[in-house]
Amino acid sequence: MSMFRAKKLDLGCFVNIKTIRDHSKRKAFEAFETQRQALRYVIRNQTLPARTRAEAQLQLTQMHCYTRPTQIRNRCILGGKGRGVLRDFKMTRYNFRMQALDGNLPGVKKASW
Amino acid sequence: MPPLIRPLRPLLQKRLPLATVLRASISSSGQLRTHASVNDEPGSEAWSQQPVTLEAATPQTITPETITTPSANPEDEIERVIQESLPKTGGARMPRSLAALYLKPLRRQAEYGVPSCDLQLRSYTLRNLEFFCDFALRAAYYLGLPAYGPVPLPRMTERWTVPRSSFIYKKSQENFERITLRRLIQIRDGHPDTVQVWLAFLQKHAYYGIGMKANVWEFSKLGVGKAMDESVKEVEGLLKDKWEHLGEKPRPENDTVEKIQEFLDKERIRLSHGR
Repeated sequence: MSMFRAKKLDLGCFVNIKTIRDHSKRKAFEAFETQRQALRYVIRNQTLPARTRAEAQLQLTQMHCYTRPTQIRNRCILGGKGRGVLRDFKMTRYNFRMQALDGNLPGVKKASW
Repeated sequence: MPPLIRPLRPLLQKRLPLATVLRASISSSGQLRTHASVNDEPGSEAWSQQPVTLEAATPQTITPETITTPSANPEDEIERVIQESLPKTGGARMPRSLAALYLKPLRRQAEYGVPSCDLQLRSYTLRNLEFFCDFALRAAYYLGLPAYGPVPLPRMTERWTVPRSSFIYKKSQENFERITLRRLIQIRDGHPDTVQVWLAFLQKHAYYGIGMKANVWEFSKLGVGKAMDESVKEVEGLLKDKWEHLGEKPRPENDTVEKIQEFLDKERIRLSHGR
């Protein structure tokens, strides 16, 4: 959603609409995390009146989907791909292989055992 | 002769001109307190009492026995290196702190053996790691800290297997690995301030490709809790601007039911405006 998108490009990696979208989702989640946690706390707190908890439930469901942590997906910083991304290097398997063979990743070597 | 450290090699091979040739005759009355001689062991006094005569014509006095048999006293070892370097340097006497570089790092003995700092060094290259461990041990010696180690900790091996090309060629894969080597240096009986100085010195001269992690223990009097409570107020003031760097923002206070109700009302208005 464009309302969460930064007016100026604020990404240093491979730029793609998918990476921009993922980035704005991360920022939206960060901005609304406290509210989300507060509502979750209210919903689960059994000492509060049932009406308050129900209201909190409704409000949590009405929050924008970009503020959900499940929307975040790790993407490749070199190609923007969303599948086969190695978490340690934030790269897809093929980009990782290229970088490792070029020696751009400190300490990563071809292994044989 | 042990293998020479690279910066010293041209000096010892007489490729660099020496400014002055030292001809020193030092007796026991003279003050000879270099870094390496600062030692609380009783053996050091015995060394300083014997008169040291350093002349250009000393190589005849060195016998093969003295070169091959390493003596137990580190002071004697340093002296042996100095004597061996004399013919090569044309009679210039190597400073004792310099001579100590050719030997294993000197160590101090802990009196009580209470650990005060565990420094873990990590690297992907063994050479850099060993070099920096050596440096850290020497720094600890000259700061008067009893250092123990380096203890080789288990290596951390991470492996990744990736297909060489697109998915249909899954049968042809390639293995990569990254081995993190670790060393542990323990400081015992160190004063907390001195340990901090040591850590700061190591951080200042941090070597490339080496990560450092230190666990520091401090001991204080009984009633630690009260003292900590008092210090929290000071620390909070100091940390206020640091938290901003960590992305921590001042949180709404949701402590009471009324506050929560208020927050929900605000939230309701905000959400309805947003839609």
